[in-house]
This record gives sequence, C-alpha cells and structure tokens, in this order.
Amino acid sequence: MSAPSTYALIQYAQRRHLAFTETVDGLDEGRFHFSAKDNLCALGFQARAGSAVLEGYRPPFDATPIHRLKAAGGQLVGKTTMDEFGFGSFSTNSAHGVPLNPFDPDRSCGGSSGGAGAAACLIPGHIALGVSTGGSISGPASFCGVVGLTPTYGRVSRYGLIDYGNSLDKVGLLSRSAASIAQHFGTIAGPDPKDPTSCAQPPLAGKGRMPSSLALPREAMENLDPAVRKAFQGALPVLRGMGVAVEEVSMPSLRFALPAYYVLATSEASTNLARYCGMRFGRREEELNQHFNDFFTGVRSEGFGDEAKRRILLGTFCRMVGFRSRYYLKSLAVRQMLIGEYRRVFQEHDAVLTPTMPFLPPRFEDIRRMTPLEMYLADFLTIPPNLVGMPHVSVPCGYVDGLPVGMQVVADHWKEMDLLELAKGWEGAFLYTFPEVRP
Amino acid sequence: MKIGLEMHFQLPTRSKLFCPCPTAPAEPNHNICPVCLGYPGSRPSLNRKALEIGLGIAQFLDCRIEERVWFSRKTYFYPDLPKNFQITQYETPLGTDGRFELNGRSIGIWRVHLEEDPGRIRRVGRPGEEIAFVDYNRSGIPLVEIVTAPDLTSPEEARTFIDQLVIELRALCGLEAQDEQTVRVDANISVGEERVEVKNVQGLRNLERALRFEAGRQSKLIAAGKRVVRETRRFDEERKVTTSAREKETEEDYGYIGEPDLGEFRTGNMLRALDLKETPLARARRLVASYGIAEVTAKQLVLTSSRLTDLFEELCHHVPAERAVAWTTGPISGNWSTLQDQAIWPELVQIVKADAEGHINDIEAKRRILALAGVRQEEASGTEDDLSKLISDYIDAHPEVLADYRRNPKAANTVIGHAMKESRGRHSSKEVVEEVKRQMERRA
Repeated sequence: MSAPSTYALIQYAQRRHLAFTETVDGLDEGRFHFSAKDNLCALGFQARAGSAVLEGYRPPFDATPIHRLKAAGGQLVGKTTMDEFGFGSFSTNSAHGVPLNPFDPDRSCGGSSGGAGAAACLIPGHIALGVSTGGSISGPASFCGVVGLTPTYGRVSRYGLIDYGNSLDKVGLLSRSAASIAQHFGTIAGPDPKDPTSCAQPPLAGKGRMPSSLALPREAMENLDPAVRKAFQGALPVLRGMGVAVEEVSMPSLRFALPAYYVLATSEASTNLARYCGMRFGRREEELNQHFNDFFTGVRSEGFGDEAKRRILLGTFCRMVGFRSRYYLKSLAVRQMLIGEYRRVFQEHDAVLTPTMPFLPPRFEDIRRMTPLEMYLADFLTIPPNLVGMPHVSVPCGYVDGLPVGMQVVADHWKEMDLLELAKGWEGAFLYTFPEVRP
Repeated sequence: MKIGLEMHFQLPTRSKLFCPCPTAPAEPNHNICPVCLGYPGSRPSLNRKALEIGLGIAQFLDCRIEERVWFSRKTYFYPDLPKNFQITQYETPLGTDGRFELNGRSIGIWRVHLEEDPGRIRRVGRPGEEIAFVDYNRSGIPLVEIVTAPDLTSPEEARTFIDQLVIELRALCGLEAQDEQTVRVDANISVGEERVEVKNVQGLRNLERALRFEAGRQSKLIAAGKRVVRETRRFDEERKVTTSAREKETEEDYGYIGEPDLGEFRTGNMLRALDLKETPLARARRLVASYGIAEVTAKQLVLTSSRLTDLFEELCHHVPAERAVAWTTGPISGNWSTLQDQAIWPELVQIVKADAEGHINDIEAKRRILALAGVRQEEASGTEDDLSKLISDYIDAHPEVLADYRRNPKAANTVIGHAMKESRGRHSSKEVVEEVKRQMERRA
C-alpha cells in the first residue's frame, strides 16, 4: 500500500483528531508545508486563539514567523486548535474543537498547542508553529510523541501573536524530528523591528555544541507517575551511552516557579484581554443601544470561557493596589532568583534535564474531574524554564502502554542550537515510534 | 490657597508614539493601523524622538532623571481606548522633583512622563438619542504629562504659569509661532484642607474661570462652617460654575503593571546627546542679568523674535545696552522684515555704533537705518497722526473687531497686523501696539 498523501493526512488530522480549525483547499507544488497555532495571525484565515470572543477576526497582516516561513518557500496549510488564549494544559478549553491524541483519541494532546502537537505527529515532515507561555510546546510535544523546541524569550518575533503573557510568550516549533526543526528554526529566529523584545538577541549559532553534562534536579523527580519515572530513568543509560554525563543536583527554588508564573502570566493576561470588548474586531452580538459598561460586560460574559474568566479575575486581583507588591512585584523577584539558580547550575553543567510531564496523556474523562489547581500543577516541570525565558526542547524518551513519555532539556539563554544538537544525537540513539494512520 | 496642575502637552513628532501612523490632522479614522487600534497580534515599538523630546523637557525642568526607564499599562475601560489600557509611565517617569521658575519663584514639578493619547469621542444627535462616533486618529499621539506640586497660590498665577511654561516648551520642542499644539490641563485646588479636582476644562481661559469659581465656592463653604468634599468637578462653560462629577473617596485602581513589549531604555547616552536650546524666558532672565535691561523689555525682545534678540546681543557688544534696546525695539523692529537679513547686520552695527559714539546724531542714524531697510525718505517721515488715523479708519470699517476684542483681547492682533502692513515700517512695532491698544481700550 502506498503512503497516504500529505493532503490526505492534513484532512485526516482535521476530521479525526480536530488538530485544525481551518485548512487550505489544496497543497502548492514545490513548497514545504507548515501550520500555525490559531493565536498567530495570518492573512486568509481567521485568528480566534481558541476563543469565541474573536469569532470572525481576520487579521490584516501575517505574523512575522509566518511571513518568514512563507518567504522561505513554505505554505501555511492550516491553523491548529488550542486552549482559549493558551489558557490550559490539555487543549480542552477550546471554543473550536478539542484535539484528540494521535496515540489514543480518548486522551488529550496536551496544551495549549494541542492541535500543533497532533499535526506534527500525524503528518510526516510537517512543521507546526506553536507558542509557549508556561509549557505549551513541551507539554503537547511530550503527549503527542514529537520534538518541541521552545526558544529563548525574545529569539523569535512575537509580532502577530495574540498575547497571553507578553513577558513569557515564545513562538517555537514542533515536528517529528529535531533535524527538521533545525532546518526551519533559523528562518523564524532573528530580530524584527516590529517586536522590540526580539532586537536584543545575539546571532544564532550556525551549529550548536553538543551538551556533555546534564544536571538532573532531584526536586523534579518528586510527584511523578511511577510509569513516567520508570520510562524516564530508562533513558538515562542511553544518554550516558552517547557520552553525556547526567548528575543529580538540587534546585530548591523550582517550587516557587509555579505560583510566580501564575501571578505574572495572569496579571499580563488580564490586561491583554481587556481589549476584547466587542468594538473594532471580533464578536459583537450585543445591542449597541446601551451603556458602554453594560455593552462590553455582555460581550465578555458571553465570549470568554470559564478558564479565561478565572485568569482575568486572578490577574486583576494580583494587580490591585494593596496586593500588587505582595503578588505581582514579588513574583518578578522570584523570576530573578530562579534565573540565578539556573545560572549556578550552568557553571557546572551544560543543561538541565527533567521529564516533561509528570503523567501520561490523561483521558478526557479524568480531566473533567480535575480541579483547576490540579491542572495548573501538571505544568510544574515546564513552567520553570518558561518563567526564566530559557530555551528548552522536549523529545520522546520512552513509551508506556503505547503512549509516549517525553524528557525536557533546558539550556542557558540563546543556546537553542546546543539543544538541537543534543536532540539530533538522541535521535541516533533512540528510535521514535508514531501511530499508524490510514486516512 | 493651593493649586497643583496636571498638564498634557502634545509632542511635535511626525509619527505616533508606538506606530508609524502620521500625527498630522486628517479625516476621522484615517491615520490608524493595527497597532493604534489595538488589534490582537499587533504590538508597540517606541518612537525614540518622543523619548528624546520628553527627556529634554524633564531636563529643562531640572528634574532628577532615572538611568533606566520603562513603560506601564494603566487599565480602564473606555470606548476611546483601543486596548482598554493606556501605555504610560508609572514607576519610572522620565523626571521627578524638578522645578520651574515663575517670576522669581520656584514652582515644584513632581513628575514628567510620556504616554499615549486615547482616541476622541464625538456625540451627535438630540439629547437622549445621541450617537457616539469614535475617531482613533488621536489614539497613540505622544503626550508628555507634567504634574506640579501644589505651589501655585491663585487662579491668575496658575494661568501665568501655564502661559509661561507653554512658551518655554514650545521653543524647546522647536515649534514655530504658526504650529498648533494641544495643551490640556486638569487642576487640583484647595482653599482649606480638602482638595477638589477640576477636570476636562476646555481652554486655559475657562480653566482660570473654573478655578476662580472653585476658590469662591470653597471659601464660602469654609466660612459657613461646612466641609469641602473631596471629589472631581467639571466646569459648566454656559453657567460658569463647577459641578460635581463624582465623589472620590479612594484613588481609582488602575492595576498598573510593566509594559513587557517595550523593554527598558537607558537614558544616559540620550541625555548626553541632548543639546537643549536656551528657551525664551530663560533668555530674558539672562538678558536682565547680563545687560541690566528692564524685565519687560527683555520679555518683549525674546517674545518678538529670537533673531531680533540675537541682533540685540550683537549690538550690546558694541554699544551700551540702553542704546541697543532703543534701536532694536524702535526702528529696527519696525523694519524687521528687511533688517532680519543677517548680511546687513555689520552695517547696522556700524550705524548704531556711530550714533552711540557721537559721530552722527539720532536723526541721521535713523535715516541710515531706514535707508538700509530700503524705506523711502518721504515715507520715513510719517507722523503719529498718520498711524492714529490708519488705525481708527480700520476700526471704523471693521466694527466686529471691537466686539471680538471685548471677548478676547487677542482680537487686537488683527488691527496691529493691518497697521504694521499699511504703515510699511514707518513705525516701530512698539508704537503700533501701543496706539492700537490705546484706541481699542477707549472704544471698548
């Protein structure tokens, strides 16, 4: 039987796994195919960021990473499903379809770039643009059994990205192999005058230096599903076989990352989401003939999902006079402290190694029983590198009952190419498996 | 009485504060883009020119300037505010603890910061059936906000303060006489303990009126043993009274956080590169100190023209200051349109010098200056009567000028302009201004 065509796979990923919100009608010859998470603006598509409040928003411009991939010969084949504005770890907070895991459709793809993870897994050679604020690339990469690169904060322009937390948001890539990520990462990286935070970066190294010494924080090994722990520990001898040393270290500040992250991310998010008020763009079903406060309250009550409302309330609270210094300003200090802790580790080691997610891709029925706090805790390993803006890569490192387990490697700022070098080396020593697809 | 002011000056940049849209006037919603409309996915990048001008103002106002500055988000919901937050400065204003010298007294400046202007709402239709239109051309126009200490002691002084500060800032920003610039002022005023904020007053004349009314209102309340309530009041232009807008028991909570998209800016190098021009009133003070001339003369010189003042200073190197004053404010300013040509200044200097040294007399000196200006001898012998008739004829022919003058003394400028033009330099600007004022006052 001949292999299914890429276009058939895209259709399959959309219909059967709800990986896409919208796709193109056909593929252009001679161009490589890539997709974009639905919070990245692109001409010709709606950009709704998983939210009903953005229904009908057609941005009049391409996001810089999309513009650059197109200029490099790529075709944008679709927009991928996601948690509303990136608010979630399982892509279940989506107004435009919840993506289903390629390994088991009863389970989550992770989030918030869940559609991107599924597309990267189901379509060989596909490049999926994802966005991470607190782990939204690593998480789906781990649950969907693919490679996910989250770059240093400020490495890839955020022009055209619908904001979640501007000091945390990073555009990255998911794909089946580190090699194809390495091929396209140079295209999307680099300064862009339209995003001033991208203009302070050093040039991207042509070829990375393979990390030879990894630090494994013992705090990261607590609260793991035993099956994940076992699969992860099984990867360590393979790494050592590649000549990479793995040594246990202590990083006690890691546990402060999660609360600090939620304070900063929701503080910024609550201001970013203020603009969704039914004027100028997006949803507008309310009667115009009423007081502005009533008008926008109506739009926002209807347009936002529960998690978005929860994060707006949380973030607004953290910014209030009297609480601001206790939460917002203290969290900024925690971020600086944690950067210091990583830097200390990097004096002795090249990178920090942990599992990516603490458990296997969960079933949707189990997710429904989780409290918001339990959901937030799922990201305790992906949040620290995101909070400090350091690059990290998640690669498959084992399989349990046919479900993938991922490991995550964090390097110092701007060292993406070192991580890709390690991931490429890893692919020489460990064989990835992907679900068989018959469209 | 204590009055403190919050002033917003539009900065004269060609493009907006955070996007490349032009700042020039245009049809409604013509100068807009995804950034100043707050479209999802767009983001700001700072217009460095605005930062430079803002830093110049902070330095001019003798402020303490932070080495690192950043921007903040001030969140509130309003239809003219596209992002429903305003990008402004909170923790790190460009300048703090400055001062401005007002007629020999130092007025404290609490802070100077940059921010973006919101759009503009226009309501049309009958009351109760109004339709609101929003024009976003103004959204993102750069403003500098200046907050003073409550050091002003009367509405008149507040008005003078604003007038003088505007003169200085316009010159500092390189604005020419014909360039328009928006200045909006809110005020805090307290006669007793509690202060009242007077907001959204259109025009400086109305601000002074509003403050006068408010001072009277508070004094009466206090005299009657009543309490002044801390609140925001607006000025009713028709009835010339202030009315309560909202009580203000606590500060509004804008939930400030840093603006993460813009990053930090180091002010050191920018400050070192700044080349602040001497402002008109500062120059006037220097003229008084250096040449011992009267303050009113010094102000007249700098407000007439900076080039005329240059010539005055040039003359002062050769002749006593009182002679330089007499000639510059007399025949030279009267024929300034031709004499401003710097190529003939050496000759002018020689004439004035010859007069001062007694080689020629005043009449001969004046004749030579007018000859230099190319004015014919016979015209040069014009008398006061000519001027007086010229002005009274014009006022007779244009009675509306008098009506305008009663409302706004600036209406006299039309008459002055006419008389200057018609007399073709036979009279100095000082003579013309005095004669016009005399006649207008008599008739009004």
